[in-house]
Amino acid sequence: MNQTILEVTNLNKHFGGIHVTRDVNFRMAEGEQSAIIGPNGAGKSTFFNLLTGYHKPNSGRVVFDGQDITGKAPHIVARMGISRAFQVSNIFPRLTVLENVRSAVHSHTGATMNMFARADRIDVKETRECLLLCGLGGKPDEIAGHLSQGDKKKLELAIALASQPKLLFLDEPTAGMSLEETEETMNLVDRLNRELRLTVLFTEHDMSVVFNHANRVVLLHRGEIIIEGSPEQVRDDETVQKIYLGEQQI
Amino acid sequence: MASDGQDSSGGSGWLRRVAARRHISGPVIVVLGIGALFIPLLPGEFWTDVGIEILILGLFAMSFNLIYGFMGQISFGHAAYFGLGAYGTAILFREFTDGTGEITMTQFFVALLAGPPVAAIGALVVGYFCVRLTGIYFAILTLAFGELLFYVVFSWYGFTGGDNGIQRLLPPPFFRDSTVYYYFTLTVVSAAAYLMWRMIWSPFGYVLRTMRENKLRTEFLGINVRRYMLVNFTVAGAFAGVAGALWGPFTRSVGPLLLGWQESGIAVFMTLIGGAGYFAGPAVGSIVYTFLHAYVTGFTVYWPLTIGVIILLIVIFAPGGLLYSIDTKLIARLRGNGNSGANGESGNSSSGGEEP
Repeated sequence: MNQTILEVTNLNKHFGGIHVTRDVNFRMAEGEQSAIIGPNGAGKSTFFNLLTGYHKPNSGRVVFDGQDITGKAPHIVARMGISRAFQVSNIFPRLTVLENVRSAVHSHTGATMNMFARADRIDVKETRECLLLCGLGGKPDEIAGHLSQGDKKKLELAIALASQPKLLFLDEPTAGMSLEETEETMNLVDRLNRELRLTVLFTEHDMSVVFNHANRVVLLHRGEIIIEGSPEQVRDDETVQKIYLGEQQI
Repeated sequence: MASDGQDSSGGSGWLRRVAARRHISGPVIVVLGIGALFIPLLPGEFWTDVGIEILILGLFAMSFNLIYGFMGQISFGHAAYFGLGAYGTAILFREFTDGTGEITMTQFFVALLAGPPVAAIGALVVGYFCVRLTGIYFAILTLAFGELLFYVVFSWYGFTGGDNGIQRLLPPPFFRDSTVYYYFTLTVVSAAAYLMWRMIWSPFGYVLRTMRENKLRTEFLGINVRRYMLVNFTVAGAFAGVAGALWGPFTRSVGPLLLGWQESGIAVFMTLIGGAGYFAGPAVGSIVYTFLHAYVTGFTVYWPLTIGVIILLIVIFAPGGLLYSIDTKLIARLRGNGNSGANGESGNSSSGGEEP
């Protein structure tokens, strides 16, 4: 069995009276690629927010790579090697594609306090590689805000990858993409997972993407993990089908 | 901005080449700098003094734009650091001045050097609180601290001279000549502008832009947003302090109004006139503002009315400032690409510094 990279114990989060994350226990091994599924409002994004420091949990513990990161600020969590791509593309709209990615690379290499050197001459190679990897090699000088929805999501992924994370969270990475782009993007994620042993956790509504690209599937419903297992196990489970058809109260 | 040098329309060779460059501030600054060398050749001391004022206030406005155009936060209290710099220099100046009102060369330079650190420390302390907030709350807090500092200086008769300010700041004989002081100011302001120019194209400068564009995303890159905001606030305060330090020996006096909100407003006006999206914007704004101020007050007392109308015209007909209009309407045509340059070089095309 691989080494544990992420361990979540009894995680709880309330927003007012609403209990959005209930006693979640969750473990990820290094190098695995898993998906979280669940209907809208199941608490998937909140779960990511809790793991990356955007929300502080009410109780529970998050341990990443042997270190307790519960309630740590996002920039500290990011520095430790957790990167995330957002559901709604979260880019720097008035900067160029290249500037977007380069800023992320600089933040990773620690160049950002440098006030005298020219930014366009630092980490040129890394930036270029990251753009090529994500299929943006042809449009470095386009204004990010003017990109198509699909390209914005690619850029979103490029920014997340620029910091060479150990653990990557992807919140609906293919939303707004065409079929070809979806295939391209998920193949890239597979490749990173396989070749660089990048640990990936993604949410997705498109079940074919989930079942083709995840080793393990976790179903979240009303803030609770209902079932986790191989894609086949989850697909064939009765409760899963009922939750997705919306018939049963659990 | 996505200019790839494809020129499909007219313009002669060199003009097109300059136009094809992505950023217009470099050429603008070079042209202005060369022009600045000849100002003292104009007849009469008056225009040389106006030139000094343009330089000092231009530096002040450019330091303000590090916070506004580049970091996307608006400070309504930036004059506090201009004033602190001025007082830092003036107080030491006063202590150095002997009974006959003379000061040695060394003392003069030591006094000048005291201004920027005083301003930087003030900005560091105030910034510590201000960077916790953004948008209108940031603006109000900078205003509140600015007025607070104004009031301290205004009331502390024993130390700052209160509402009398500090008078008789007579520089050493060599620097009393307007032309000499002009070239001295030009040197200092050029050096400061060069440092700021390096800064805005550095990785740090890009962090300022990403914080303006998307604070949350910047944080998820691993950037401690508050710390970077504080560093920039302090640096901007220090440059305002350089401008302030030059001011006292120029006007031979300092007063508490240098820290007031109206003085802060001057930086805002200059930046809006010239263009917040451009490094050179506030400098162009300073030329327009200061020149008009000197000219208009020569025959009418209705300066506030005049500047009000000018700001109105700019906001309506040239939102984004003069450089933005030049960049998008004139130079973009030379580039043969109607959209290029549309984001300025800070990437901040809007006249406002808000998040998009």
